[in-house]
Amino acid sequence: MSGALDLKVKLAVYRHFAENGNRPAVSDVAARAGVGADDVRGAYSRLREQRVLVLESDGTSIRMAPPFSGVPTQHRVVSGGVSYYANCAWDALGIPAALHRDSVVHSRCDGSLEPLTLAVLERGPEARDWLFHCPLPAAKWWNDIVFT
Amino acid sequence: MLFFRSEERLREWCRKTGQAMGPVVRMDQLWELARAWYATRLEPDSRRPQPEEIRRIFGSLGLVGAYWDPQSDAFGRD
Repeated sequence: MSGALDLKVKLAVYRHFAENGNRPAVSDVAARAGVGADDVRGAYSRLREQRVLVLESDGTSIRMAPPFSGVPTQHRVVSGGVSYYANCAWDALGIPAALHRDSVVHSRCDGSLEPLTLAVLERGPEARDWLFHCPLPAAKWWNDIVFT
Repeated sequence: MLFFRSEERLREWCRKTGQAMGPVVRMDQLWELARAWYATRLEPDSRRPQPEEIRRIFGSLGLVGAYWDPQSDAFGRD
């Protein structure tokens, strides 16, 4: 029973992010999914357990619905006239991959802090010899996913 | 998870922050990771890759060893 509700809520969250570029309020998700606010809060808690969502400490504000970030970050993606924030460099390419639309990634080199801009077409990003670095091994990513 | 313009810039960053330097990933590899994780994320039947699938995806891109194993205990679980 909760599986169907959780799916509705997950899709409502992701479609809100895809259309608007920002995080939805609980009332936005409830209206889109056609369920009550308490249902949304319950689903959020289960989706957090499944590592589908990362919530703020209030338990209802979405910090991450990967690849989308609910808060501003150094990784911004513009696509279809909408501006998005990504959680990390991986997710900065994840947003064009999820949207299946031509996009432009605005980020930076963390070594020099110089801005980096990357066009990403549906078939992939333009050629660049930049590097991507994970400071932690994969087994530790979810110990502190915000740091990761 | 960050971008670096070159390995030299990454090494400088590691020195400055005290972070250990892990393996580096090229942009073409990163795009394949992004597609593997997120290409179906807006669809009803999407799901996060599970550990065995994660190993297979990483392995297909040459990202192998304990660093890329989602269940490795080589680094502790603190």
